[in-house]
Amino acid sequence: MEQLAQLGAGIAIGFGAVGAGLGIGFATKGLMDAVSRQPEVAGKAFGFFLLGAALSEACALYAFVIAFLLLNK
Amino acid sequence: MEHWLYNISFAGHTLTFNLDTIFTMWFAMIVLLIFAIAATRKLSLVPGKLQAFCESIMHFFWNVMGSMNTAKQHVPLIASLFLFILFANLMGQLPLRIIHIKSGELASPTNDVNLTAAMAIIVLIYYVTAGIMKKGFKFFLHDFSFTGIVMALVELLEMVTRPLSLAIRLFANIFAGEILVTIALGACAYFAPLPIMLFEILVAFIQATVFMMLTIAYVSSATGEEH
Repeated sequence: MEQLAQLGAGIAIGFGAVGAGLGIGFATKGLMDAVSRQPEVAGKAFGFFLLGAALSEACALYAFVIAFLLLNK
Repeated sequence: MEHWLYNISFAGHTLTFNLDTIFTMWFAMIVLLIFAIAATRKLSLVPGKLQAFCESIMHFFWNVMGSMNTAKQHVPLIASLFLFILFANLMGQLPLRIIHIKSGELASPTNDVNLTAAMAIIVLIYYVTAGIMKKGFKFFLHDFSFTGIVMALVELLEMVTRPLSLAIRLFANIFAGEILVTIALGACAYFAPLPIMLFEILVAFIQATVFMMLTIAYVSSATGEEH
């Protein structure tokens, strides 16, 4: 049972990181597109980018919490 | 990371207090209170250095509220949440951990899910109350039709998921940051944790901003025309 919980923790954080990585990647792509088209919006767009990156990063952290709960059962 | 637990039996139930969280929370609150009292003690028309600094902070909140189309009467909640969360997150990088306590360690109080859940529930109560005061019963059900009832049920579900995600987001960011710093300290105690600690300072600002922005969005969607 212990080994299964460890396996589950690994799977949880792995798949969670895939989603958050995709999300932050798309956010960075959007920032790059916006800045290369209109360099003058760089400062404003970076603020929104940080907000979106933090929101999508939170999804990986939900997985992290689940993994931590599985390990510390 | 265990906390310093303290049990009190009260009328047949056992209340458990996380003493380290309470200490650090009161530390953050006392520092903010002293700062606020010192800033507003001698107000003058020509502001001094401290008063000018605080006025620029308040202008920041007014600008944010104005850009999100929310009434300025909600500034006290937003401002106190932002300042408290920011200070609490930054406290995790102070060398408070040198002080030894019985178990656990003195770090930022937001690495305890109880504190973040309490703040999220305060936000829930605030925006539901603000919505009811603005719209009355129409806050729950705007029109009596099939779509109206389905939307009302979805909004009832949102009242659970919104505070849950607010609480877990803030808690998990700070908690993961502290674990990262601890792992880097274990790898090499001298220079390895430095970039991670710098990143954690950035995360402290971003998470305080995210909590504030989501609170503003919830309040403005509860009090706005369409919701």
